[in-house]
Amino acid sequence: TISSNHWILAWTGLEINTLAILPLISKSHHPRAIEAATKYFLVQAAASALVLFSSMTNAWHTGQWDITQLTHPTSCLILTSAIAMKLGLAPFHFWFPEVLQGSPLTTGLLLSTAMKFPPITLLYMTSQSLNPALLTTMAILSAALGGWMGLNQTQTRKILAFSSISHLGWMAIIITYSPKLALLNFYLYTLMTAAAFLTLNSMKVLKLSTLMTSWSKTPTLSAMLLLTLLSLAGLPPLTGFLPKWLIIEELTKQEMAPTATIISLLSLLSLFFYLRLAYCSTITLPPHTTNHMKRWHTN
Amino acid sequence: MDLSLVLNTLMLLTITTLLTPIILPMLSDKLKSSPLTITNTVKTSFLISLIPMTIHIHSGMESLITIWEWKFIMNFKIPISLKLDFYSLTFFPIALFVSWSILQFAMWYMASDPHITKFFIYLLFFLITMLILIVANNLFVLFIGWEGVGIMSFLLISWWHGRAEANTAALQAVLYNRVGDVGLILCMAWLASTMNTWEIHQMTSPHQTPTLPLLGLILAATGKSAQFGLHPWLPAAMEGPTPVSALLHSSTMVVAGIFLLIRTHPLFDNNPTALTLCLCLGALSTLFAATCALTQNDIKKIIAFSTSSQLGLMMVTIGLNQPQLAFFHISTHAFFKAMLFLCSGSIIHSLNGEQDIRKMGGLQKMLPTTTSCLTIGNLALMGTPFLAGFYSKDQIIESLSTSYLNAWALLLTLLATSFTAIYTVRMTVLVQSGFVRTPPLTPMNENDPNVTSPLTRLALGSITAGFLITSFITPTKIPPMTMPTSIKLTAIAVTALGIILALEISKMTQTLILKKQSPMSNFSTSLGYFNPLVHRLHSTNLLTGGQKFASQLIDLSWYKLLGPEGLANLQTTASKTATSLHSGLIKAYLGSFALSILIILMSSY
Repeated sequence: TISSNHWILAWTGLEINTLAILPLISKSHHPRAIEAATKYFLVQAAASALVLFSSMTNAWHTGQWDITQLTHPTSCLILTSAIAMKLGLAPFHFWFPEVLQGSPLTTGLLLSTAMKFPPITLLYMTSQSLNPALLTTMAILSAALGGWMGLNQTQTRKILAFSSISHLGWMAIIITYSPKLALLNFYLYTLMTAAAFLTLNSMKVLKLSTLMTSWSKTPTLSAMLLLTLLSLAGLPPLTGFLPKWLIIEELTKQEMAPTATIISLLSLLSLFFYLRLAYCSTITLPPHTTNHMKRWHTN
Repeated sequence: MDLSLVLNTLMLLTITTLLTPIILPMLSDKLKSSPLTITNTVKTSFLISLIPMTIHIHSGMESLITIWEWKFIMNFKIPISLKLDFYSLTFFPIALFVSWSILQFAMWYMASDPHITKFFIYLLFFLITMLILIVANNLFVLFIGWEGVGIMSFLLISWWHGRAEANTAALQAVLYNRVGDVGLILCMAWLASTMNTWEIHQMTSPHQTPTLPLLGLILAATGKSAQFGLHPWLPAAMEGPTPVSALLHSSTMVVAGIFLLIRTHPLFDNNPTALTLCLCLGALSTLFAATCALTQNDIKKIIAFSTSSQLGLMMVTIGLNQPQLAFFHISTHAFFKAMLFLCSGSIIHSLNGEQDIRKMGGLQKMLPTTTSCLTIGNLALMGTPFLAGFYSKDQIIESLSTSYLNAWALLLTLLATSFTAIYTVRMTVLVQSGFVRTPPLTPMNENDPNVTSPLTRLALGSITAGFLITSFITPTKIPPMTMPTSIKLTAIAVTALGIILALEISKMTQTLILKKQSPMSNFSTSLGYFNPLVHRLHSTNLLTGGQKFASQLIDLSWYKLLGPEGLANLQTTASKTATSLHSGLIKAYLGSFALSILIILMSSY
């Protein structure tokens, strides 16, 4: 998908991706996993169909299949919605938390990072012809929904899903003005999320209560998790601050200061649940009491 | 012989004579003051002060004494100066005469009091500050006297400080007076900033004076002279001993407010708004006080309300632009009001502390001198022709009737005059005539000359003062000379009506049936509902409002609800709403996706 110039090839790549990851999701044959795989398939299939539809409409109107030359406005809109569906941008994000919840942690990692790469690439390639207003709306909605929904979760996979949604919001908001920044944001986000997922995987932490007692298994890793989470939140001087800062600067240059303010304020909500995760993992050490006994086995 | 030197010296001698009982005991232990010495001092002062008054009457001489000048700032110097003009020279002998009589009476009345000397010193001190107020030439010295009389009033009302009501009454007096002081200070500040002076003879303005300082002066008079609005302290001040009521709250202190208005009259002259305000305020006060006096059963309270009513009448006179007439009424009023209080004191002591007129009766046979003086005083109060009150009161009502001013004020004043007659006759009838309702075996006597001679002196004054003053003083404003006969007879007719009405009604009380409560009688008995309304309602509202502000508004609302907690509530609500949307049904999700795409496409066209 990444290296293609022609729409049909891009679409083919997307489909192969979808089909490939489905068995990975449903590896454990648990009903929840099957359900997650089904939801994933349905949504991705619909999204791919829309991608095809938009490229065909564009070909009908402009007579060419070049990805970078997507000029017809309706095509752009439909493509934007399709990519949003693939990525998990609001208001097309409903499937993402449940899919992530149903899949094992490593597959979740793949879903959050690797599977987002092709759609982001497509956005990057078509960034000059996209509709900024639509993208801004979706971005702010993502940040808001990601924040508010994440506040109410105790399952770590769902929390990471919503964090992913709000980060995608940040990426989407800047893509029409400075695509390179969006890409930078994506790379850094991938790094941080991979770190988070792998940490949680090694501690086999699936919910908050498990997180609270997991420090005894890998104390240093818990400390690192604290820093990773704060970096995800975007606190200086950690890495996660860099994309946010540059995006806000770029938005201000584009005379969109109120938008920048709104999206920053909504990120505060996600900061809260990152802090809650950090608190549960690192700060509840003795002599602070926890709600659960210490775990004695490391598996 | 240089008469001006005599005038000045003798006036200063008057004041220094009064200071001797206070200063001499400080110099040597052998020279202690006693009530007798103090009374004799005041008598001497009175006799000395007669001479400057006669000098003034004889030659119209006035003078101005400046003792020292306080160089305050560069262009504002405050001299301590005394103005000896008609008002001060005439009021000195009157005040000293009345005080002498009261002090002599107090020697008998307070004979059983262990601290009688301190009482006399207090009364003396009060007298000195009152005289300072009278003789002041600028508002600074006047303010010294003003505050002095206020403080002494507080100390004297709460003389029997073991009594809770006495303390409450003293506090009431001080608080209400303080509210009035605000007005006085406002006026002083305005004068200092606009006219750069506090001297009374420099206070004139060619065009209309702004109303603000005049409002301040009227507020000061309302506080000190118990006009309606700041009046409750005067009936409450009857908690003090009878000599205190006689001296302070009938003849001297309460007229200080009116005196201030008389002194600053040139400012009022050309501002009709302020004059109308005085007029209406005075009319309202006089009617209100007279209404309240109708149903009082305590003899001292009846006389207190009658004082209040007469003060309202004086305020009406000021509003009519007749300061000299107001001063005239002050002078005549001093005589008969002090006498009324002394008579009531004699009655109370004879009845062993009984103050309720429903428990008195038939005293005419048992206390002849007292009751005769009581009758003379009441007749003078009502304005019986050719007694003292007639000259001033009748002239006031004539001016009111013939002026082109407020008819409403006229109506209220006439009504108040008839009410005056009614309650006076009621008091007389219930106290003096009829069957004896007092407990038997009371050793009543009038053998002590300390009781009878003050009363007779004041009675003489009540009868002759009006005549003497009118014959010797030429009025500065032309009194109304021509008027229809009916107008001329208004005052007398109204008074006579009142007398007849009161006599008729008192005949009906022989049957001793408890009267039914009607709104009118309730209004009068509960003093117009003013006391409970203002005292309780206002303070309660203020305090609960303050509590609401501090605890509910600031603590709860600003610091919690609208700040952090409100924000947190908002977020939790949003979070809950959003969670309920994520139902987990893939059909709903896909449906929402389709709807969103539709909306996006629609909005782009």
